Amino acid sequence: MSILDWGVLIFTLTGIVSYGIYKSRGNQDIKEFLLGNQSLPWYHVCLSVMATQASAITFLSAPGLAYSSGMSFVQFYFGLPLAMIVLCITFVPIFHRLKVYTAYEFLEQRFNLKTRVLTAFLFLIQRGLSTGITIYAPSIILSTILNIDTTYTTIFIGGLVIFYTVYGGTKAVSYTQLLQMSIIFSGLFIAGAMVVYLLPDDVGFVKAISMAGKMGRTNAIDFSFDWDNQYTVWSGIIGGFFLQLSYFGTDQSQVGRYLTGSSVSESRLGLLMNGLVKIPMQFLILLIGVLVFTFYQYEKPPLFFNSYELNKLEKSGYSSELNQIKLEYNQAFSDKQKQVSELSKALNNEDTQAIDQSRSELRVADEKTKALRGKLTGLMQKNDPDAEINDNNYIFLSFVTQYLPKGLIGLLIAIIFLASMGSTASALNSLASTTVIDVYKRLINKEASDKNYLLASRLSTIGWGAVCIVMALYASKMGNLIEAVNKLGSYIYGTILGVFLVAFYLKRVGGRAVFYSAVCTEIIVCICGYYEVVAYLWLNVIGCLTVVILALLFELIIKKAAEDESTAV
Amino acid sequence: MKNRNPDLPPFVKSWNQFYLLLIGWLILLIVAFYCFTWYFG
Repeated sequence: MSILDWGVLIFTLTGIVSYGIYKSRGNQDIKEFLLGNQSLPWYHVCLSVMATQASAITFLSAPGLAYSSGMSFVQFYFGLPLAMIVLCITFVPIFHRLKVYTAYEFLEQRFNLKTRVLTAFLFLIQRGLSTGITIYAPSIILSTILNIDTTYTTIFIGGLVIFYTVYGGTKAVSYTQLLQMSIIFSGLFIAGAMVVYLLPDDVGFVKAISMAGKMGRTNAIDFSFDWDNQYTVWSGIIGGFFLQLSYFGTDQSQVGRYLTGSSVSESRLGLLMNGLVKIPMQFLILLIGVLVFTFYQYEKPPLFFNSYELNKLEKSGYSSELNQIKLEYNQAFSDKQKQVSELSKALNNEDTQAIDQSRSELRVADEKTKALRGKLTGLMQKNDPDAEINDNNYIFLSFVTQYLPKGLIGLLIAIIFLASMGSTASALNSLASTTVIDVYKRLINKEASDKNYLLASRLSTIGWGAVCIVMALYASKMGNLIEAVNKLGSYIYGTILGVFLVAFYLKRVGGRAVFYSAVCTEIIVCICGYYEVVAYLWLNVIGCLTVVILALLFELIIKKAAEDESTAV
Repeated sequence: MKNRNPDLPPFVKSWNQFYLLLIGWLILLIVAFYCFTWYFG
């Protein structure tokens, strides 16, 4: 990175951290620290929930996913607008009316303390682990730029976020997220325009997408009923609906965001606007990955996008094998150029037969390159069994640092940092509020002063930050980050959502039945997930429905037992 | 935005209409993505 890039990066980061501290100045009480005094308008709520969901992972993994396997991931968000509607009809009015700090408080009012503690506990595990992954993602950036191990960069980034969050509080988080999202939208637009600008003169925007499409990268829709396929319209609408409903309805990191709305209407409108904007936004991010894919059909991509792992192999005893693979890779790329140029000509002439022929040849050439990369990753694992052999998260980053002009590199990297800081800050804030409100205040110290709870919130934020950093250090072994986060959520969200749905819609079911059904369901979901019975998105559906069915069943059994007992007496 | 009735959504007369608008938007997006996949693939 140039001095200008470093300047832009440091200026933006210090600016945003200073802004967070400025916004949190003055005396705060627990309500302001955790709920921002419930005073924010709908556009704050909308951008805040978007910024919380769109972490750095969104900007690192999604373009990489589109580059390597196409745009099918967009279907994952099809359930989101439907989930927003259910939330606005059911969850939002109830949470506002009961004036709760956390979603789990409601469960004690409806069921019992055990159910509240169980769901809060599940949330803390899930969010604690996934925030670790969220912290790890931007640390990849520094790792690649400085060419040092991700361990050190993870600790640095995690420390920065903890510092910002402890002083920030929820109101400052929302204010900074407003600013962050504006910068992110502008940055994405500039990045997309730059990729098109960097393409050869005869390749425009439409032709670039056509070329990627001929190589299977524009597969945004899949109507097939394949249970093992992670991303189809059906898994997106049904599985995605349950996942998004659980995430927005029962995950405190999101509940805490829309509870800052000044009224039910402001919270509702913020969520519905999120439902309108999220899918097109995700589509555009994936489209950038597709454009980068076309760009690398003309420019030779690195053999492996994670330069740190490649350097490690170069310094090892396998360097001669690596050099051989490099030679073969260079040859394969230069051979491929012929097919690329033929496809380009065929597209210009709209010659269907020639398009089909060059497409088939290009796919064969592509397979050859993939085989060489497979050979390389095999070598990496031989050299170091813990080597990170998935480089999806480095693809977009590698493009940004190698091809974008000075200044813009710093800005785009700053954007990734900002996105990560926003979502991590929300997560740490929600972990702190659940720990303090549902555990400390409810179980440990019921009658403490407001000052004591505020201090506990800050200490809890620091504690969770430390846990998340430790988790982040293991994140590199989890393959594609965005999928890892969603998989983790699918193990737990379905169960929590089931508990909430029983609470809202099955008035006859009591606390004991729902508690036991939640415990049994979690065991069933873990078994299904471990043995990969279905694609992970379906675990949300299984979890949710199992809780509802078991709760009804257990309630019947409990009632029957009670009746038998009273008859016997 | 300041003239908006604080209990109602903008552009439409009720929350139910806004929900329908969102469902319509989702269907439109799926159709648009289908056309995109078909045309470029």
